[in-house]
Amino acid sequence: MDPTLKSPFPGTFYRRPDPNSEPYVTEGDVVRPGDVVGIVEIMKSFHEVVSDIEGRIARFLVENEDLVDVGQDIIAFEPV
Amino acid sequence: MRTARVIDAGLQTTVQDYPGRRRMLAKGFFPAGPMDHFAHRAANLLVGNDASAATLEITLGNFRIRLESDATVAVCGAEAPLTVDGEAVAVWESHHVPAGSELALGVAAGPGFRAYLAVDGGFDVAPLFGSRATYTMGALGGFEGRPLQAGDALPLGESRANAARRRLPAASRPPYSREWEVRAMRGPHAAPDFLSESDMETLFGRPWPVDRNSNRTGIRLESHKFEWARTSGGIAGGHPSNILDNSYPVGAININGDLPVILGPDGPTAGGFVVAATVIHADFWKIGQFRTVGDTVRFREVTIDDAIAAERQLSATLAESTLETI
Repeated sequence: MDPTLKSPFPGTFYRRPDPNSEPYVTEGDVVRPGDVVGIVEIMKSFHEVVSDIEGRIARFLVENEDLVDVGQDIIAFEPV
Repeated sequence: MRTARVIDAGLQTTVQDYPGRRRMLAKGFFPAGPMDHFAHRAANLLVGNDASAATLEITLGNFRIRLESDATVAVCGAEAPLTVDGEAVAVWESHHVPAGSELALGVAAGPGFRAYLAVDGGFDVAPLFGSRATYTMGALGGFEGRPLQAGDALPLGESRANAARRRLPAASRPPYSREWEVRAMRGPHAAPDFLSESDMETLFGRPWPVDRNSNRTGIRLESHKFEWARTSGGIAGGHPSNILDNSYPVGAININGDLPVILGPDGPTAGGFVVAATVIHADFWKIGQFRTVGDTVRFREVTIDDAIAAERQLSATLAESTLETI
C-alpha cells in the first residue's frame, strides 16, 4: 500500500499559508522529508505539517479547512 | 547544577506549579498553573516532591528531553507511549533514570490531551511573584515566560533521592473520556436575573462540543442562542450577555454573546460578560484533558456542599498512602 501522511495535530487543516498565497503543494508534486505540506490551526495558533515521506502526491484525503484529528490520513502518496 | 535539556518541545510544553500565582487577581493575574491539577499533583507525589514543585505540562505529546543528571521521573495524565532510551515504561509510575537518559513521550491518542512530567527536585526556574507557573497570556513566569523550545536547558532542584519506585494504582486514577461530565455551580449571573430558567436547563442539559481554538486561556464551546431574561445589557451594552465589568472566577462558564467559554488558568481576571455557572475545583482538572477536536462536555449542577465534598475526596486520593511501592 502506498504511504499516507497523517496529521500530527488535531485542528483545522489549511493548504496555504494565508488566503492570498498559493497552496504549499498540489497533486503531482514530489515531496521530500522536511517539506511543509500544510498548516493546522489549533489553540489559536498555526503549526506547520511537515512531510516525513518521500513521494509524489496522488491526492489529498481532506479538503482545505476540514477539521482533522491527530493521526488522520491527509495526503496519499505514490512512488516517484 | 542538575539540568535537563529539551530535544523536542512538542505542540506546547510549559513549566507549571500548583496552585499557581495566587492573590494576584487584583493586579490582573489569573493564577496560571497546571490545567490538570490532579495529574500534576500525582506526578509530584510519585517522585517525592513537595507539593509546590514545578512540572512540565506537555500538550498532546511529541516531546523529548535529556536528563543530564540522575533523576527520578514520573509522567501522569493523558496516556501516550513513554520511553526511556527507547525502552517502553509505564505512566502513573516513578522511574529511576541515569544521567544522559532520553525520555520521550509520543502522541496521546485520546482520551485526554495533556501529560505532566515531574522530576525529583522539580523544575527549578526562578519564581515570579511566588510561583514558577507559566502565564501564557502575560508571557511571564516559567522558563523565560514562554512555552519550551528545543535546546532549552532547564535547571532541576536538589535531588530527593527517593529510593522506592511507586505507582498510583489504576483504581485511583480518574476516568478519562471523550464525553466529559463536569460538575458546576450555578451563577454568579444565572436565572432569573440574567438568563431564563430554560437557558439554565439548556446549559446543564445538553452536550457542548469543544472548539479547536480552546487553550489555556479558555475552553470555547459551541455557539448557542440563549433566550436571556433581559432584552439588552442596558448601560453595559446592547447584548443581554453584557454586564458592567466585574471579576471572573477561575472555571467561569462565561457567555460572551452566543459563545460559552470556560475560563482556564490563564484567563482574564475581569470583563463584562455574564458567568452563568462555575466549574467546581474538584472537576477543573478535566478541562485540561479536553481534546480540541471531537470532545464534548456536559455540565451537572451541584451545590457548594457537593463541591467541597468532591474536593476533599479528590485531594484524599493524592496521599502517600494511596501509592503502591513497585
